[in-house]
Amino acid sequence: MAESQENFPDFTKMSNDFYKQWEQSMTQWWDQVIDSPAFLDAMGKNAAGYAKARGSWQKSMDDMAEKMHVPGKGDLVRLARICTMLEERLLRQEDHILLLQDRLETLEKEALQGRIEAAEARLELRDRLQKMEDLLVKLADAPADARRRKSAE
Amino acid sequence: MLQRAENYSRFLVSDPVAKAKIGQSPNRIIHHDRKAVVRLFAPAEVKHQPVFVSMPLINTWTIFDLLPGRSVVESLNKAGVPVYLLDWGRPGPEDSQINLELLIDGTLRRSMDRTRRDAKTRYGADQVDAIGYCVGGTYLTILLARYPDLARRLALLATPIDFHASGRLSLWANPETFPLDEVIDGHGNFPAEMMKQSFAWLRPMGQLAKWKSLWDKSENADFRTLWAAMEAWNNDNTDFAGAAYREYVRRCYFDNALMAGGWKLGGETVDLSKGKAPALVLAAADDHIVPPVAAFALKDRWGAPVVARTLRGGHVGVCVGKELPAALLEWIRA
Repeated sequence: MAESQENFPDFTKMSNDFYKQWEQSMTQWWDQVIDSPAFLDAMGKNAAGYAKARGSWQKSMDDMAEKMHVPGKGDLVRLARICTMLEERLLRQEDHILLLQDRLETLEKEALQGRIEAAEARLELRDRLQKMEDLLVKLADAPADARRRKSAE
Repeated sequence: MLQRAENYSRFLVSDPVAKAKIGQSPNRIIHHDRKAVVRLFAPAEVKHQPVFVSMPLINTWTIFDLLPGRSVVESLNKAGVPVYLLDWGRPGPEDSQINLELLIDGTLRRSMDRTRRDAKTRYGADQVDAIGYCVGGTYLTILLARYPDLARRLALLATPIDFHASGRLSLWANPETFPLDEVIDGHGNFPAEMMKQSFAWLRPMGQLAKWKSLWDKSENADFRTLWAAMEAWNNDNTDFAGAAYREYVRRCYFDNALMAGGWKLGGETVDLSKGKAPALVLAAADDHIVPPVAAFALKDRWGAPVVARTLRGGHVGVCVGKELPAALLEWIRA
């Protein structure tokens, strides 16, 4: 029984092998077809013809809509295009505002830094003035002390 | 076999993709920029400097927060990193004239500026680190080359720099065969459905492989949840603003201007050598949209030191694996 099973052909393997061979040959055939200049030329002409027909059909639909005094696709597209352009302008304005905001922030930082530096300079000046004032008081007191010492003698 | 077929059918009949809940981590919006918003994912305890994430414009931001346990923002938050994520929103027909200057110098620069201000107020951080994924990373790289002081460091994931090394995508996006002007003139914006189909066609057999992997693992409940979430995200493409797409494809794919130079944006030359932020470039080993060589090209152009590292996975799979959060955390802690 086991021996007969071993001799029995494996149809799954056979069909897979057959499929692989068939796929390989078909791939080779397709490669030749779709890379050939004649095929590409024909496909190009086909695409151009289809696009031209599509454009003509669209134009005829718009013409018909115009004759019927109803808005056609072309009118709606024009309207939507205006909206798109307006949106683009708004986005550019947003760009400008953000750029200005960045510059203001930089200026603000610079101005703040300037104010801090000015305040520090004023504090430094005040300290120096205070020191000078103390020295003057000491100097002013010095002759009086000398007179007092002399009169006591 | 029959049991598997039953599981498979039951799962698909239950409409799992529509029911998949992705992008569930709590967040608050700190800035509106037309349709784009900056979302703050705040951690319970702040341990690191905040990061700003610029997502791609092609799909939604939810790939960075796909499911609990498979979310980059959740992993970063758990490690104590505040995440500010730029969700570009969904452009409508009225946005078809929004060009790259408005996206990069406008929305992206403003979003980073508002993030910096918010991070300073909220977390006392003077600067933020920036992360970019795919085309969101390309835009972030251009922005940081123009305004180097906006971020302290830069990490890029699967971000194309050398667009001519982008494999099949660069072969397709060439001026000879790709009718860029006709497509944008006809549609206004580059349609999400066309984007989805283009990416699907990059690997035609990948579509079949997706269904086969579900068949093979249909008995694994975690895999089914992940499969449905990935499908929900994959199906949710967004339109690409027409004027921006025109300029992006012309400059990046047609001219490869980030490598060749000569690209003027807002009257100023885009010069990656002016970048000052040290950069970490992460690439996915199996990435068929941005192969590692296309991402690592930053090393030859960036004005600051660049560390390159390859992670396992593909362009999208890398976001739901364990390696990416670990690599980002290592970078944040450094």
